[in-house]
Amino acid sequence: MTITTNIVVEREDRVQRLRAASVPYLLLIPAVVALAAISLYPTIDGIRASLHKFRYGLDMGFAGGDNYTAVYSDPVFWQAIATTAWFVALVVSIETLLGLLLALLVARELRFAGLIRVALILPMTIAPVVVGVIWRLLYASDIGVVDPLFQALGLGAPHVLAHPLSAFLGLVAVDVWEWTPLLFLIILAGLQSMPQDPIEAARVDGASGLQTFFHHTLPLLRPVLLVAVVLRTIDAVGTFDQIFVLTKGGPGTSTQLISIYAYNTAFLFNQYGRAMAMLIGVLAVLIFLMLAAVRLMRRTSEAIE
Amino acid sequence: MSDKTKNTGKSKLLKRRMRRRDFIKGGIAGSALLAGSGIFAPRIVRADTASITIGSFQDNAMVPFHEYFCKQFTVETGIAVNYNETNYDTWYQNCKNDGLNKTGAYDIYVMDDNWVPEFAAGKIVQSLDKLGLKVNPDILPAGLEMGLWPPKSGARMKDFANATPELYSLVIIDDVEILYYNKDFFPTAPVTWDDIYNVAKTTKAPDMYGWSPRGVKGNPIMMTYLPLLNSYGGNFVNPDWTPGFAGPEGVGALSRLFSFIPYMPDGVAEYDTDQEVQLMLEGKCTALTEYTGLAQRVDDPSSSKVVGKIYMAATPKQVKSGPAIGTFIAGIASGAKNPQGAVQFLEWFTSSATQLEFARKYGGAAVTGTALNDPEAVQKHRWLPAIADAVNNSVEKPRTPDEPKMEDILGTALNEALVEAIAQKSNYDAIAQKHLSDAADQITAYLKQQGGYF
Repeated sequence: MTITTNIVVEREDRVQRLRAASVPYLLLIPAVVALAAISLYPTIDGIRASLHKFRYGLDMGFAGGDNYTAVYSDPVFWQAIATTAWFVALVVSIETLLGLLLALLVARELRFAGLIRVALILPMTIAPVVVGVIWRLLYASDIGVVDPLFQALGLGAPHVLAHPLSAFLGLVAVDVWEWTPLLFLIILAGLQSMPQDPIEAARVDGASGLQTFFHHTLPLLRPVLLVAVVLRTIDAVGTFDQIFVLTKGGPGTSTQLISIYAYNTAFLFNQYGRAMAMLIGVLAVLIFLMLAAVRLMRRTSEAIE
Repeated sequence: MSDKTKNTGKSKLLKRRMRRRDFIKGGIAGSALLAGSGIFAPRIVRADTASITIGSFQDNAMVPFHEYFCKQFTVETGIAVNYNETNYDTWYQNCKNDGLNKTGAYDIYVMDDNWVPEFAAGKIVQSLDKLGLKVNPDILPAGLEMGLWPPKSGARMKDFANATPELYSLVIIDDVEILYYNKDFFPTAPVTWDDIYNVAKTTKAPDMYGWSPRGVKGNPIMMTYLPLLNSYGGNFVNPDWTPGFAGPEGVGALSRLFSFIPYMPDGVAEYDTDQEVQLMLEGKCTALTEYTGLAQRVDDPSSSKVVGKIYMAATPKQVKSGPAIGTFIAGIASGAKNPQGAVQFLEWFTSSATQLEFARKYGGAAVTGTALNDPEAVQKHRWLPAIADAVNNSVEKPRTPDEPKMEDILGTALNEALVEAIAQKSNYDAIAQKHLSDAADQITAYLKQQGGYF
């Protein structure tokens, strides 16, 4: 009798434990379904499309790896990859540096710090297409203000969008203007949540401002910086709107990022399969870089702890 | 009985009603009822003969079409016209999706003529011949032929080498590039590019420019180059799909464009239609080539400082005149709900009487010869004969769904060449040859990779 009772109690316990353990998974189901619908399905469909040939707007059937072969033997694709890499490297480094400097400045109890913060964040709140239009009007060689400004300074009119190098640097400037606030905000949050004891201890020990920054503030800020850089890198690879409005990838191919080339390939040249092959390749590289960044972040955090 | 008791009693009743057996019974009865009512019976799609729906991209040239003619059609036939428009790129995707999925949201698509190969070959639009559309013989042949698939002449894709051309779309506005020139500088219409160059040499920048082109990569600079290329005897592609622009004709044409560099704005490599046209409207350039839409603006005192001074002619020739044609063309959607209403509309709009009204009342780029040469219309709108002349001499772009990629390759090479020529200010032939040869090689490689050409 006692044995039977024990068995029943044990079974009930097990059922209860199982129920308790399964609740979180059940609660996750709606989120997983939503994620699968908006993220997983398009990716899988993209992979499927990259293996198909499209012509006359129609799916002409399975094409094996033809799209990948075509893309990876296309010099314009590699040119777009190189331009994207340069663009991302430049904007992310400049924005991180500027964001860090601004955050260090604003983190101190300055007068009007709140106002400065709002002013710094403002560019980020403007829609990228509008940013493109604003800068198009500034850069335009006929009605813009940049050319007359240079001329007033005794320099020649640069015609920013008419030359490959100046157009590229002009786009970098636009991106830096728009997205430095994001880096600034993330780094500022990191600075404000940082433990102050080690820094104060260093000051008491007579460390200079620079020594405190390089030996204490920066190491403590490293995980936050990594997160900021990773997020911004992912975002910068997909930069599209401003470039589409300002240069459409020109002059020549000097500002043609992979996003512009893939868009043209899909919607202008009607080669969906090829466009998807491009983007799947880029996605794979990005995932690899992100995994590496996450691993690096973990190691850094462990080292700090 | 209190309210509370009433409610309790009601819920007991509901509970009783919702027993499983009752639910099943109710379900069966309900299903029978629904089946009887025909809600789940196979749907019979009925053609709505009382209205048609037209979709288009936004363009000023379409204003008379939707503001006057669509309404006039309703008055004359009793068929209501719903008109929707959006920007060019969005409309291209919208109508393509509508046609591929036979959604039936639209009856008529207003298209750019270079969409025809894809839309006809992909059966996104229906054959107008099969729908029984009667073509007005007064329509200028060059415009009409833009709606044929496969093309009547010129290079044909292998898949369609032996197919009989069918009309898949009908020209509704004969948009074509024409020459605009300032009468203060040209007492008579310039005939050759040399005539324009000789006047350009007398201009002093930045107060006056001798030529104002579009220099942006892709389609804009192509629209600058094609009239030059055609006039020098070159071709975008030859009938065997080999590029026809990398020879002496193409190089000569591009060198001629470069010869205008001292008389063009410095930032011309970033010039698109708005900037190019603004120079003319401000009276700061002697001549340019542009589509017919500008004709309506040159005499508008609210936007033009050269009212009455700008005249129009067919684009200049060196060997021959060869403006690029870019018609507004209408097709009937594969899933159109009212195809016969759509046919009726297209026949009505392209009829000689309607086109005459289009030309007389609005100075529009009518599609019929009689409208463009009508004395009353010409007296009011001096550009109409130039449009007729340009359409008759026009040269179409390659008729293939791969044309946008070909245009992108050549348009990028032209822009790179222009930037280099502006920087060097000499050595024009060599720069032209290098970039055109590169573009020709790239186009050939692309077409070979695509298959179906050689």
